[in-house]
Amino acid sequence: MTFTLYSLLQASLLCLNATALLHEERYLKNIGWGTDQGIGGFGEKPGIKSQLMNLIRSVRTVVRMPLIIVKSIAIVLLLLFG
Amino acid sequence: MHSADAAAGTARQRKWPSKRRVPVSQPGMGDPHQLFDDTSSAQSRGYGAQRAAGGLGYPAAAASPQATFLDDPMSNVAMAYGSSLAAHGKELVDKNINRFIPVTKLKYYFAVDTMYVGRKLGLLFFPYLHQDWEVQYQQDTPVAPRFDINAPDLYIPAMAFITYVLVAGLALGTQDRFSPDILGLQASSALAWLTLEVVAILLSLYLVTVNTDLTTIDLVAFLGYKYVGMIGGVLMGLLFGKIGYYLVLGWCCVSIFVFMIRTLRLKILAEAAAEGVPVRGARNQLRMYLTMAVAAAQPLLMYWLTFHLVR
Repeated sequence: MTFTLYSLLQASLLCLNATALLHEERYLKNIGWGTDQGIGGFGEKPGIKSQLMNLIRSVRTVVRMPLIIVKSIAIVLLLLFG
Repeated sequence: MHSADAAAGTARQRKWPSKRRVPVSQPGMGDPHQLFDDTSSAQSRGYGAQRAAGGLGYPAAAASPQATFLDDPMSNVAMAYGSSLAAHGKELVDKNINRFIPVTKLKYYFAVDTMYVGRKLGLLFFPYLHQDWEVQYQQDTPVAPRFDINAPDLYIPAMAFITYVLVAGLALGTQDRFSPDILGLQASSALAWLTLEVVAILLSLYLVTVNTDLTTIDLVAFLGYKYVGMIGGVLMGLLFGKIGYYLVLGWCCVSIFVFMIRTLRLKILAEAAAEGVPVRGARNQLRMYLTMAVAAAQPLLMYWLTFHLVR
């Protein structure tokens, strides 16, 4: 099983895509991971769960636009070169 | 006759330089004022036949008019333009390179000398007697690796990585499993695992909200030290078979484990814990687990990346 840089690139594209697809209202709120839930008090350090929620939200915001471009390029290249 | 024709063609080409489509000399006996190349000559026919045969006619035909091609004023202008374009591009790259690759920061990691490399390699194979693992600071910046054995460097990991790829090729060659693209595959695989490790560790450091001064390049340096053990294991496996491989790999795995724990403890754990006082907070426990996980991943990866090389 050769785990090459190309397969890492593919896997990261798919994972980023999956993270960007998580719908705020339909899904995350139902499992309690919405962005307006569970923000801890101001004084204490944020726990792992709130860090993860923050991470998901920031990834979704930042990555959405470039992801469209990267996915279109990937689709075109895969159609052409298999 | 050929040289006379070539000379005649040369003279004609100097008069009308911009009208050439193919840099083939013109031994044809045509009108000196013709606008286009006379491609009906014997040499061109030979060139055409060669091209039909194997596409090798072009360099063969271009060999004789090569001098004329370079003498041509148009090609002089083209060369001057091309070199000015290249200089402009180089300027652009030099200006912007620091935005993408922090060159000055990288120079710190390559400021090593022979003594440092020797001592560091010794430390990687035998870290049990070393007492002081702190990196010395000099006015808020860490001291260059040349002066402090505890400082991370990128020279040893880079060299060890390249040596690992070569040794992998050697090992596969002794088993008749070698082909040149295997080298690229091994390098790509090792780099992919390294990237995955770096990303996973950065992610977990973010999730556990550890405030460290462990930069990404530091992390790459620390994770690159395992290649040294891997090389040792594979070489011993080549010399002494599986027994030698397992012995040396086991020794190097334990050494890297201890090395990573002692180095990362100072970077990830809080000050109190680093001095050996066990702090029972949940935060520190999580950090301890993280350090242990990072250190435990090293032997696993060392085994995974080398076991298929030794039969």
